[in-house]
Amino acid sequence: MTSSDVSRLESAFADTTDLRVWDLPVRAMHWSLAIAIGVCWWTGLHNELEYHLYSGYAILWIVLMRLYWGVVGSSTARFVNFVRGPKAILDYASTLHRRDTPHTNGHNALGAVSIVLMVGLILAVVILGLFAVDVDGLYSGPLSIYVTFKQGRHLAHLHYHGFNILLWVIALHLAAVIFYFIYKRQNLIGPMIHGKRRVEAAEACDAEMKIAPLWRFAIGGVVVTAIVYAVSIGFYF
Amino acid sequence: MSVLSFRCLAAAACVALGVAILEATAGPAEVAQIKPRQDKLRDMGGALKAINDELKKGRIDWDNTVVPNAQTLKDRSAYLLNWFPKGSGPESGAKTYSLPAIWQNNEDFVTLGKVAQVEAAKLNQVAISKDANALKAQLEAMGKACKACHDRYRSPDYAKENDD
Repeated sequence: MTSSDVSRLESAFADTTDLRVWDLPVRAMHWSLAIAIGVCWWTGLHNELEYHLYSGYAILWIVLMRLYWGVVGSSTARFVNFVRGPKAILDYASTLHRRDTPHTNGHNALGAVSIVLMVGLILAVVILGLFAVDVDGLYSGPLSIYVTFKQGRHLAHLHYHGFNILLWVIALHLAAVIFYFIYKRQNLIGPMIHGKRRVEAAEACDAEMKIAPLWRFAIGGVVVTAIVYAVSIGFYF
Repeated sequence: MSVLSFRCLAAAACVALGVAILEATAGPAEVAQIKPRQDKLRDMGGALKAINDELKKGRIDWDNTVVPNAQTLKDRSAYLLNWFPKGSGPESGAKTYSLPAIWQNNEDFVTLGKVAQVEAAKLNQVAISKDANALKAQLEAMGKACKACHDRYRSPDYAKENDD
């Protein structure tokens, strides 16, 4: 065995360590958003609008919190750290077919596009829903008091069509996760559940996530809860 | 052929085509019910919304909003069951959200229609009594009566274009 073989073996057995990539708020918001969208989908299709309203408020809360966390949250959650320009996006896209590309800590340039698109679409669909009027005039959005029945019905249709577009973007998001899992052999689901990714010790030093304190999340939570409550009563106090 | 006469010809062709389409679809008198019934039901939806909005605003204008809209609901609902003659469903070829089940389970449909009439009459009573708590409860009962029928006999409209 030559010395170069030994060093290669050594590096193969080198220490691996768990690198934290997603903090608790990001993971909690991701999965609760997925559940809330599922609930909204089902209740919307089955005209169970009483519960559709509640799950819609939950989505509004989560999205507003995500926007807040994108400014003051942990490093991988912040928009400044992952939203990239067109050149970086195209550069990343041109390596998509390769299997040996390194992991990105946090969102990669292309994934960032999908995040911005999804958050934006969800917010747009929720806002349309706030003004939407149901066919029975029974469970209308809280801001529908500011529109007529006919306008509100029109907005309800846009709410539906917007959600359909969102479903396609979510499908693309899922397809991308499967693509990374099968083609690139990168498991993106695990880290979104437990927050960590196994890396070689050497790689970990320069990529450590800066974790934001949870009290900062709590402060945002109070403010956002107040905003969602104000919206839910149509700003009539 | 001048541009003008070509335009006249094109316009005439369009009118002829339009008439042909109208004749192909609009046949029996029942079809004539569809548009007015949509207008009236939309007015009823608007009336219920107007009363609901008063509750949401927390300052109820009984005389200008609640009483007249409750009256609209009561008056319109009295004729509700006359608006659905056999033949005014989707088989007429006209654009309608009415499901064929209206005429297949007509007894059930009529029962639900009568429930709506009763709830609308009660709502009218509550509006006159000006009792805010009773209004809240009765609005829910009214809305649920609308919903019961819509859930069973109105096709989910979200996949279609705007219903105007």
